[in-house]
Amino acid sequence: MRSSRSVDLSLTSPWTVTLLLFWAFPVAYSLLIGFTDYRLLIEGYRWVGWDNYRSLFRDPAFLTALENTFIFVLGTIPVTTVLALGMALLVNRQFRGRSFFRSAFFLPSITSMVVIALIFTNLFSRGGYIAFLAEMAGFSPPVHGFLYDSRTALYAIMGMDVWMSLGYFMLIFLAGLKSIPDELYEAAEIAGASPMRTFWSVTLPLLRPVAVFVVVINSIKSFQVFVEIFVMTRGKFDTATGVYFVYEQGLTTAFRMGYASAAAYILFVIIGVFSVLQFLVLRRRTALW
Amino acid sequence: MLNSILRALIFFLLLSSAVAAQTTIEWWQFWTDPDIKPTIVAMVKEFERQNPDLRVNLTDLTWANGHEKIAIAFASGAAPDIVELGSDWIAQFASAGRLADLTDHVASQRLHYQGWTMATYNEKVFAKPWILGTRLLFFNRDLLKRAGYTADFAPVNWAELGHAIAAVSKLGSGIYGWGSNTAEKHRLYKKFMPFFWSAGGRIFSEDDRFCVISSQQAIEALKFYKSLHECCGYVADQRGIEDAFLEGKVGFVISGDWLLKRIELEERRINLGTVVMPGPGPDFSTSQVYDPNLQVTAYPGKSFMGGEFLAVNADSKNQLGAVKLIDFITSPENQLRFCKANRSANPSSREAQLDSYFQSNPHLQNFVMQLNLSAHPPVDPNWVYMETEIEAAVERVLFENAPPGETLRQLQKTITNLRKQ
Repeated sequence: MRSSRSVDLSLTSPWTVTLLLFWAFPVAYSLLIGFTDYRLLIEGYRWVGWDNYRSLFRDPAFLTALENTFIFVLGTIPVTTVLALGMALLVNRQFRGRSFFRSAFFLPSITSMVVIALIFTNLFSRGGYIAFLAEMAGFSPPVHGFLYDSRTALYAIMGMDVWMSLGYFMLIFLAGLKSIPDELYEAAEIAGASPMRTFWSVTLPLLRPVAVFVVVINSIKSFQVFVEIFVMTRGKFDTATGVYFVYEQGLTTAFRMGYASAAAYILFVIIGVFSVLQFLVLRRRTALW
Repeated sequence: MLNSILRALIFFLLLSSAVAAQTTIEWWQFWTDPDIKPTIVAMVKEFERQNPDLRVNLTDLTWANGHEKIAIAFASGAAPDIVELGSDWIAQFASAGRLADLTDHVASQRLHYQGWTMATYNEKVFAKPWILGTRLLFFNRDLLKRAGYTADFAPVNWAELGHAIAAVSKLGSGIYGWGSNTAEKHRLYKKFMPFFWSAGGRIFSEDDRFCVISSQQAIEALKFYKSLHECCGYVADQRGIEDAFLEGKVGFVISGDWLLKRIELEERRINLGTVVMPGPGPDFSTSQVYDPNLQVTAYPGKSFMGGEFLAVNADSKNQLGAVKLIDFITSPENQLRFCKANRSANPSSREAQLDSYFQSNPHLQNFVMQLNLSAHPPVDPNWVYMETEIEAAVERVLFENAPPGETLRQLQKTITNLRKQ
């Protein structure tokens, strides 16, 4: 028994050591330095207790970043989820060119985020394609382009994020749809249920675990949005989000690692609470479907 | 058999002791382009040939995250022996005690190089100037011609510049007079400060005791800069602005010598004009509050000056070797070699500056002239924070219609507080 345990431990040790060294230690260490005034270039640091946390909740830049993060999360998740489900339903049907559409919808998910962000920076620019479409539709686009106006920049990035995430979540929904037994649809058809009724009474309830997964994963991903902001606006025009704030405080000009660590822990708690709430609410709600 | 094993062992020991006698100098640098990196490598190889006891290990950095990497390396005790630093960073690293004091070593070299003030903090020299850089006004002559200007026109004061930019902007949709920077850090202030300095603005008073950034001259400069942005600005990051300029969509941009290199390497067909930054001129008046008695700099105006410096890690065990390598790399011959390979316009070596190469091209001549008409930001450990605040203030004026006077007064308070910290 003992030797079996030691074999288990030795076999899992590469993973365990890696986890302890590169995940557990940094996580614990950053929790600790969140209570100090540690700066990268300054020798030594002082224990400041909860000062960093108190200062953060009085820091307008952090509060704006939190607000932007919530706008991002709450704005993108419902749209992404509904559209991804719709697309999954569409490409789940039999029609010519189905494989092409499945691949085309999934393509953005395997393209580099930086490349997509650069392409969209161009599309959103003054005189760019999206401004051109807006003008054709009778709207007047922002003078300097969508990304260089505080009223539109964050929403433009959210739009791009939805477009980019759709394919990935469509694929997850598609896998969920494939797992629903055909007999249930046949039974619904025999019972004379309309397609809409079948969707509400068969498809949606059976997709419940997949939907919860999609919403939670998408929430975590959206709370951590960074690359888009970094590439497209550098947090300017009211687009700085929580993670961008952490980056800017800890790893750019100020190198305030203590302050940045405290901000990261606030985000960590928010994401944790939000995820648990989503699980609880969606479980209860989906039980009614 | 035993004899041959013994011989092999002795040979191996001799070889390994020879290798062990070599000292390795770690050098972190930013020149990664395929057209310049081989020159750096060749210079290093030549240095190693001349100094068989020294080996150089090169590590490339990028401008996107080089500053962070250097800071993290210093904090973790893993910094290299030599590090290339942008001029704006020297005071930050020097004040934190991370750089070796080179004052005595460079004492005899001071007259032969330009740019020492940017490397001097608390009256000590912490880095040696390598390649300097300034910004010029670039313009598209074809667009100016279409706007009714003669082939030899170049704006010599703000009024002429403003009119020319407006005229180009009127050429039609998709054509803009002016490239206006945003969406990245460390860029915008380098575009605004030439106007600020040209108008006679100062960040600190002459005795260096007070922040005076909200002077009337500064307000005038910001109003003028805003007028260019509002009437005719093509807004993008530096790369985006330069792309649009090279595609013939933008009339005027402020840029550095890297744009000349890009035009040459990409074989861009552009009827290019360059001119040193225009000053406000004696008859400048674009605002109601313009004071004709204002002390203004006559044409030409000032531009931004910065550069690449080589510094030695204060904790380096190989400081002698490091300084030797720095002297080799920054020698007039090697600077010239570097400038020719990289199409750089501004070596720090005064001897290299006199080379006929820089006289052979009118644009390079303009860069040399502009370098001598340039100013650099204060050498202050808090400059990196001040710079961020200046950029934020200018952006508030440009994009949120914040009033220039009030915004600069607020900025003055912020910078004063930063200095107190």
